Amino acid sequence: MNTLLHLDEICCRYGAVTALHPLTLHIAAGERRAIIGPNGAGKSTVLNAIAGTAPLATGRVVFDQQPIAGLTPASRANRGIGRTFQHPGVVDTLTVADNVALAVHLPATPPSGGRRRARDTRRAQVTTALNNVGLEAHATKPTEQLSYGQRRLLEIAMVLAAEPRLLLLDEPSAGLDPHEIRNLAQLIRALPDDIAVIVVDHHLPLVFALADTITVLAAGRHIATGTPHNIRTNPQVNDVYLIPTPQQRPTSHAVDLDVLASPSWPSNPELRTSSEPAPQPPVVLQVERLRAGYHGAPVLHDIDLTVTSGAIHTILGRNGAGKSTLINTIAATHPALPGTQIRLDGIDLPPGNPTRTARHGVALVPQGRHLFASLTIREHLALAARHARRHGRPPGDVRWTTDDALDLLPALRDKLGRYPAQLSGGEQQMAALARALLTSPRLLLLDEPTEGLATAVVDQLTHAITRIADQSVAILLAEQNQHLALAVADQVSVLDHGRIAFTTTARTLHEPATRTRLNDLLGVTTTGSPS
Amino acid sequence: MSTVTAITPDAINAARPPLLQRASANRWRRPRQGVAVAAAGLAVVLPAITGRYVVTLAATAIILALLAMSTQLLAVAALPSFGQTAFLAVGAYTAAHLADAGLTDGLLQLSGATLAAALAGAAVAPVVLRTRGTTFLMVTIMIQGLAAAVALHWTSVTGGDEGVDTPPVTLWPGHPLTEAAYQYWYALAVLAACGAGIGWLMRSRLVLVLRGHAGHEPRMAALGHHPTIGLGLGYTAAAAIAGAGGALLIVVNQHAGPADLGFGTAAAGFAAAALGTCLTGTPTMTGALTAAIAIIALRDATGSNGTGPLYLGLLCLTVPYLRPTVLRLHRHWARRSEPTA
Repeated sequence: MNTLLHLDEICCRYGAVTALHPLTLHIAAGERRAIIGPNGAGKSTVLNAIAGTAPLATGRVVFDQQPIAGLTPASRANRGIGRTFQHPGVVDTLTVADNVALAVHLPATPPSGGRRRARDTRRAQVTTALNNVGLEAHATKPTEQLSYGQRRLLEIAMVLAAEPRLLLLDEPSAGLDPHEIRNLAQLIRALPDDIAVIVVDHHLPLVFALADTITVLAAGRHIATGTPHNIRTNPQVNDVYLIPTPQQRPTSHAVDLDVLASPSWPSNPELRTSSEPAPQPPVVLQVERLRAGYHGAPVLHDIDLTVTSGAIHTILGRNGAGKSTLINTIAATHPALPGTQIRLDGIDLPPGNPTRTARHGVALVPQGRHLFASLTIREHLALAARHARRHGRPPGDVRWTTDDALDLLPALRDKLGRYPAQLSGGEQQMAALARALLTSPRLLLLDEPTEGLATAVVDQLTHAITRIADQSVAILLAEQNQHLALAVADQVSVLDHGRIAFTTTARTLHEPATRTRLNDLLGVTTTGSPS
Repeated sequence: MSTVTAITPDAINAARPPLLQRASANRWRRPRQGVAVAAAGLAVVLPAITGRYVVTLAATAIILALLAMSTQLLAVAALPSFGQTAFLAVGAYTAAHLADAGLTDGLLQLSGATLAAALAGAAVAPVVLRTRGTTFLMVTIMIQGLAAAVALHWTSVTGGDEGVDTPPVTLWPGHPLTEAAYQYWYALAVLAACGAGIGWLMRSRLVLVLRGHAGHEPRMAALGHHPTIGLGLGYTAAAAIAGAGGALLIVVNQHAGPADLGFGTAAAGFAAAALGTCLTGTPTMTGALTAAIAIIALRDATGSNGTGPLYLGLLCLTVPYLRPTVLRLHRHWARRSEPTA
């Protein structure tokens, strides 16, 4: 096969930090290549270097026999390099169809029939692209109304509509539910044979199902390149990435997608046995008749739920079910509709006022982390601690200090002077969690905390979350990663079409009827393959 | 006049249940159409029902409206520009020199002014479009200041402080427009033509690209859209609209001078665009037009005793505080139109 892309000893630095040590790769036309590795390995940096958004310190990038290192991202895109971003790169203020229309470039010479014909051609291409990812019913919606996973699918539709010759996919499965991941795998497999794909993802079943060749990076260095079988059996790769430590195993999804449909979801007694809540712990959060929507379209209907002190209440549901809307409505960053009652420790939370809600002891770790780009991690933590000092909780409540947070999340300890852009995804997530903890919350709201994180980091977060709950913090957790969600949960609620389909406790999760119902609602099949 | 919002009403309605969608659309369509027809009718018959002073003010409001719409086109691309007056000046002095050269035909002057402003915009675009956001705003303030300084000191071209007097504009077959009413109607016709053009532009792919750049520039680049080209075309189009306003300035004032093209005019145009955005929640041309009329009424009609700049200053201070209120009202209306079940 012809070499489509040649990375010749490329090296990338961010200030004094070397994100990628000299790396050489050959990608053939039509090849399906995966790049895997722990967070901070330099995977996204490789994609950015190819797409032109990360400057090269040294080395050459040759695409289709032409050096492209001096070209702008737009010029590279016009040569046939399409990419997705780690967080969905869509235009929120446009409709779904308009987003895709931006990607459709018509030939310089319009087809016979003039402008109307060209318009019809573009419209047909937009419709086809949306059909491919199952978003055709949302074509006229403003993009901001889509769920996170739908936005990711929209981004993929946009990139495919641009008809790239090399497709760079950065964490395409993050935020997607199992059903959507299977559709994504089908979509990528169905791409024409002449389109090369480089996929970066932590969802290893997807990676192993798609890739012909896998490259493993760690700490910015090349570890190995080979077939999926070679990579699975490579001891060095197993050491740095694939084989979880015994402590990590409960939440690992590194082995096979079968685990998603496994009939034996563990409720991880190891994690929670030491922290079983008291027989009748006090109710911290009480939500009654919660309703919310977007621009007149209701999304959540009459949600009732409670979270007790020291308990973890997990919200599961497919993309678009309303998980993030529920979290944001409780945090008051999204308006609730009249009739909604949200109480914290028996006190009504003021509707539509996130500042006062935070002062009552509600902390939010939002999806996408939302760290401040211009502040170091130390400054993030100092800001949060200052908030807690000024709006202190009643005596008797746990007061978190910076040392407590760093003991819980030790990976941050030597990164305090760094800015968010200099951290890996996992470190950013830990920083967001630490920032929330330093407000000494009574209620911690976690929205997809494991999105796009490597297995090892997911496990660190899992232990951190359970330890936080042990300090009598009530936790409401919205997650796509069912393993994490079910491993740590005391209570599980499943959202379906904006309503709570059912709520159950950790003890009943093993019952076959409960598992079957969960499978149905979450789109988990028992075939075990992403196809 | 085209109304273009970041999120089209059609798109929002499509997300609603059909019955609600129809009810909501019907509820607002007729009143909007009624207001638009009444406003257009009033604009046409204005000279017949008011005096020369009001008609001249109305003509001035049209010039400011074009300046505001020029600013608003860039606001659609998230480029807050204070410097569109520079292109108004290019258009005005171009029209003045054409008139001096004996070319008094209004449409010829309009074409020349528009073209000259567009060329100036295309020349400046690569420089200013290296910046975004607040830096872009600061750079455009500098451009406005530079343009005012050039107008003041390049006396051989601009006439310096005195400016350039011009003969009345003529329309084919050569009748001079000396009556305020005729000047106003000509300006109104130009506004209608520009409005139609801007309406077409707002539905064009160019504006879609501008909105894309405003929403997610890295994504646009990753799709192959060169920011300098897309935004440069938008900047050039906005300059052309301001240049058309400059041509009308010559029609109404028969004079081009630094006094008409200075900081006050730039502030009024910027405030009209900002206030228009506040009125409608998103950058719209109808909002800019309405705000331009309101500003002229406040500054020149109500404040004719010299307090106009004070009122305009207060309005500019109020604008940033109005936006959250308007957005809250929009959310309130959206909630009111939701189903109760």
